[in-house]
Amino acid sequence: MEPRVAVLSGFGINCETETMAVFEMAGASAERVHVNRLVNEEARLSDYQIMAIPGGFSFGDHLGSGRLLGNRLRFGLREQVREFVTSGKPVIGICNGFQVLVKMGLLPGDDEVSLTQTASLALNDSGHYENRWATLEFDPESPCIWTEGLDRIRVPVRHGEGKFVTDDATLMDKWADSGQLVARYVDPATTYPSAGDEPLPYPISPNQSWRNVAGVCDPSGLVFGLMPHPEANHSTWLGATWTREDLVHGEGEGMGIFHNAVRNVLQA
Amino acid sequence: MPTETNTRLFEVTTKDLDGLPDARGESVRSMLKADHGIDVLSVRVILGYQVKSDISDEEAESLIYDLFADPVIEVGSMGSRMLDDFPNPPEAAIQVGFKPGVTDNSGQAGLDGLTTLFPNQTSAMVATFATYAFWESEDSISPDDLAAILHNPMIERAAVAGRDDCAKRAWPLLEFPEMPPAIFQEPATVDLEVSDEELIEISEKGLLALNLDEMRAIQAHYRDPLVRSVRKETGLPPDRPTDAELECLAQTWSEHCSHKIFAARIRHTDKVTGEDSTIDSLFKTHIMQPTLDIQADVDWLLSIFHDNSGVISWNDDWSVCIKAETHNSPSALDPYGGAITGIVGVNRDILGTGLGARPIANTDVFCFGPPDYSGDIPPGLFHPSRVFRGVHSGVRSGGNESGIPTVNGAIVFDERYIGKPLVFCGTVGLMPRLLSDGRESHVKTPHPGDIVYMVGGRVGSDGIHGATFSSLELTEESPSSAVQIGDPITQKKMLDMILEARDAGLIQVITDNGAGGLSSSVGEMAELTGGAELDLGAVPLKQAGLSSWEILVSESQERMTVGVNPVDCADFEALAALHEVEATAVGSFTDSGAFVVRHGETPVANLTIDFLFDGCPQLVLESEWQPPVHLPVETPDLDEFGMGDILGRLLSRPNVASKEWWVRSYDHEVIAQSVIKPFVGANHDAPGDAAVIAPLQGGTQGLVVSNGIAPRYSDIDAYAMAAASVDEALRNAVCVGVDLDLISGLDNFCWPDPIESSKTPDGKYKLAQLVRANRALDDVCRAYRLPCISGKDSMKNDAMLGGEKISVPPTLLFSLLGNHHDVRKAVSSDFKKPGDVIFLVGQTHQELGASELSYMLRDEGAGGIGGAVPEIDPERNMSAYRALSAAMRDELVASAHDCSDGGLAVALAECCFGSDSGAKVDITPMWSDCEHLDVWGALFGESLGRILVSTRPEDRQSFEKSMEGVVCHHIGDVLEGDKISFSRDEHVILSASMQVLRDSWKGTLHGGGV
Repeated sequence: MEPRVAVLSGFGINCETETMAVFEMAGASAERVHVNRLVNEEARLSDYQIMAIPGGFSFGDHLGSGRLLGNRLRFGLREQVREFVTSGKPVIGICNGFQVLVKMGLLPGDDEVSLTQTASLALNDSGHYENRWATLEFDPESPCIWTEGLDRIRVPVRHGEGKFVTDDATLMDKWADSGQLVARYVDPATTYPSAGDEPLPYPISPNQSWRNVAGVCDPSGLVFGLMPHPEANHSTWLGATWTREDLVHGEGEGMGIFHNAVRNVLQA
Repeated sequence: MPTETNTRLFEVTTKDLDGLPDARGESVRSMLKADHGIDVLSVRVILGYQVKSDISDEEAESLIYDLFADPVIEVGSMGSRMLDDFPNPPEAAIQVGFKPGVTDNSGQAGLDGLTTLFPNQTSAMVATFATYAFWESEDSISPDDLAAILHNPMIERAAVAGRDDCAKRAWPLLEFPEMPPAIFQEPATVDLEVSDEELIEISEKGLLALNLDEMRAIQAHYRDPLVRSVRKETGLPPDRPTDAELECLAQTWSEHCSHKIFAARIRHTDKVTGEDSTIDSLFKTHIMQPTLDIQADVDWLLSIFHDNSGVISWNDDWSVCIKAETHNSPSALDPYGGAITGIVGVNRDILGTGLGARPIANTDVFCFGPPDYSGDIPPGLFHPSRVFRGVHSGVRSGGNESGIPTVNGAIVFDERYIGKPLVFCGTVGLMPRLLSDGRESHVKTPHPGDIVYMVGGRVGSDGIHGATFSSLELTEESPSSAVQIGDPITQKKMLDMILEARDAGLIQVITDNGAGGLSSSVGEMAELTGGAELDLGAVPLKQAGLSSWEILVSESQERMTVGVNPVDCADFEALAALHEVEATAVGSFTDSGAFVVRHGETPVANLTIDFLFDGCPQLVLESEWQPPVHLPVETPDLDEFGMGDILGRLLSRPNVASKEWWVRSYDHEVIAQSVIKPFVGANHDAPGDAAVIAPLQGGTQGLVVSNGIAPRYSDIDAYAMAAASVDEALRNAVCVGVDLDLISGLDNFCWPDPIESSKTPDGKYKLAQLVRANRALDDVCRAYRLPCISGKDSMKNDAMLGGEKISVPPTLLFSLLGNHHDVRKAVSSDFKKPGDVIFLVGQTHQELGASELSYMLRDEGAGGIGGAVPEIDPERNMSAYRALSAAMRDELVASAHDCSDGGLAVALAECCFGSDSGAKVDITPMWSDCEHLDVWGALFGESLGRILVSTRPEDRQSFEKSMEGVVCHHIGDVLEGDKISFSRDEHVILSASMQVLRDSWKGTLHGGGV
């Protein structure tokens, strides 16, 4: 039985096509689900095994990226979302979807799934939106089910507000200890593993995120969000420098993340 | 319990945390430095939201952190002023907000957020502001100077507090921008039984942009006894038009909508050849006919010339379409609003093609005045650097927020674009060949009885007279109502909804509301069924009280007009509700032969379809070609290092310099399809040629998108300009491996007014330039088997300001959309490895006239731009392109880069940027192409049809064999290290350090900050 993936859409979400495609490539069955169909109960989250909030510019990023869509979910879908997460189903938010998960308090989150915001994604230090490629490294100790067994991937970042910060510095240590700071920007010239806390220079870190954080998971490891776009590197010919590389064409470096989630559901 | 309505001010700014700068303030600081040379120590930005509602104080309190401020990284306040909280008061504080009636996208989003929290607050209003606080600015900069930089009085207001006010903590505060209700004017009639002078006066006063012949044709129509009797029956004044009818005719017949100059009968004389001939429509003769001739031989031209964009078959399951529009006049008045409206507008052309196509890629080509221009700017115009920044920002917002990648583009600089910038926005669309109900999606299927829906935004007083305004020159009195700000989110919701409606088979016919508003959109579709009825009283309005003619012609954005079968209306409306999109039935299609408009029960217009679309008299014009005279190019004698320095200076010219800082802020990878990106090479910073996308995720069939633009050559001969544009577009496409058997083109002409008059004494010459450009397009497209499937022209790109006329150089943008058989074989422009072998494909001639080099030398004080311009031999070029394409399919080509601005030397440097390498070439073989070539022509000439190629050493022989029969010179090798050198007969004629060249190339167009 193929896992069913609810790929949310509407209000300026705009990466749903490729997000559906990568789940299909990974062996799942993906459906585009307008947020309002969940709110008015035409569709039910509980009918799906994975939820994905794709990238985009929900509500034009006005009043802060992800804020208004986060509020729609926090106020309109609170119980459905909590039930989904507490029942052990994987959730991913990519770029704007990550911003939504952070603003609604699902990431970095807490054991109670209290939906209290504790971190944020601030404007890049450059002050503007950028599309450029970055190299990510994953914490092998993390409980994150999405990144299990992955070391590094190259992916595009496409955002103006991706600087991961919090106003309680002790939380950074706590999240680090629990393996929640799972994805970090690294210098591709270094060898694995090399993720560090000292902010890397621009543009290796495109946004001057604290501790070079590119993505985080919740304490359970089921909810994962990241600013870069793994779904945009689903095939080798989408890489930034593929024409310079001797490679056998096939799946791109971003696909491992989606395979992990599908495998997790199939093994559950 | 509801409380009374009141207005509250919320303010938000960045929280003081270590490691969290106020990035908004920093951006302003670096922009002031980069664009205006102004040093300020510190800038802080405070966002403001004025909320007019009847929520309680307690509820309002919750909005601070539930809606407006991010509780983790921002501080928020209600009712107080945040400027009070700074220990040292700023030296200047400037608050900027929109004028009443201007689209406030953040405010709209804020209102949506408010109703998420308090669903009954649907009649609340939210307006946004930004307050800028400055510390330690240069003494010479006044707060008013800063305010002038930070707002555009055409659409915004500013309140300013200087040093004294700030010391007293008297902060600037703008009033809530309340739009007064419009004053409804009863439908009026216009008496046309007047003298010719008065007819012209009616046209000019009403901004109708109709000439005397056209006014007389309208006059004659209302004298027709048959027309009069029909009008009598319908309750309209029998012998004269209503204001709405006259407006509707003016929109439909505007140069913008009906392309009168391209349809004109032209008597063309040529002083050189003695030619004296007549051309019955440049469009039909030189654009349509070649395409129709090609269509007779191929089966993939599905829909050309009659829809919002041209459609070609891409494969058995999918078709693709492309369209580009210009938004020049609005971008001159409000660069941000003009440009964002341009990009979301052309997206709607795609959405309105056939039964609806999905926009999948944008292209943006801009022509601006030089960003470092230091001369006087005529009153009413912005400095080019501000136009550049505003246009860029508008296109970035429009494209990024719509989720459409910007895959290709160009930026061209010339002083004559100070008067009117050219802002070309293009979009590629994708649609299934067949819908699930069996209909072909490129064919509209309207029937009489179908219901007309207006979908998306509402109608306001914004955007009245855009079409006619853009058909006039720009003056200081140009109306601010012609400026709008696009709203990508309203449009995105509509786009999602329309595409679902298409797939569900709910759409019979669709078009966008662009120029001319409902008058054009419903009118055009009425032509398909033979009539329509429209009730203006049903049209949802942004503000009450709009007059009938205003509702009919307003170009308020984000609207589509859709025809729906009555049995599908309920489903259509339900889908709209799900997506929170407004869809309103406003009329129906008929076969009555007339476009009938009423406002409630009041008849407003009754125009026969024939007269509306075929009644406009053909223009009769004259053109006369006499080649211009220029001083010849003068080149100095320089040693190899001097020539290296010339190359560095060329690379730093804005036309050649790296645009990376700007282009990076466009999303070019959304949809996960981007195979050859705007940036290529080891460090992702070398210029790509054409874009290659693979729009079906996981599929390896691709599309190639490229552009060609070469306005410099118009200064000598617009024929050469047009030929160079088409060749550049194709050359770029060939560089990435386009399938030469499936290529299509798009012509966008931007011309100065070519109609001779007292204001345009050189009209005959400008029209002759247009004739020559069209002939080039015809000749080259036929030879390349490159059909133009759509196009557009903008013919009044002049500005008259302070008595001075500034005309743009005649400009043709040629866009190309082609197939790619297998994107895994796509080739990028960067050299790959030291040791790879370098070839120059194509012939070089001594053609430095109007080259980038000639302009540089002239600008530096020596000589002119005169000389031979690149001559095109399309058959010869095509043979080379075919040979190279075959070599690419055999995977024998490591890199390919086109030679354009700055010639071979610039191209070689760019290939090296991508590989962090040097190169050593010997260009002696080029003299076999042309004996009288000199080293300047060889290094910097821009002869057409040339591509710089590299191969792996082991592929060299096979490559050479594959190129047999076409000119392909082996000229050198890729080298490790920093040095690039050119020699002739063992003698080094140019050498340079790649690092120095790279710094020159990257240093010119940096936008500030990181």
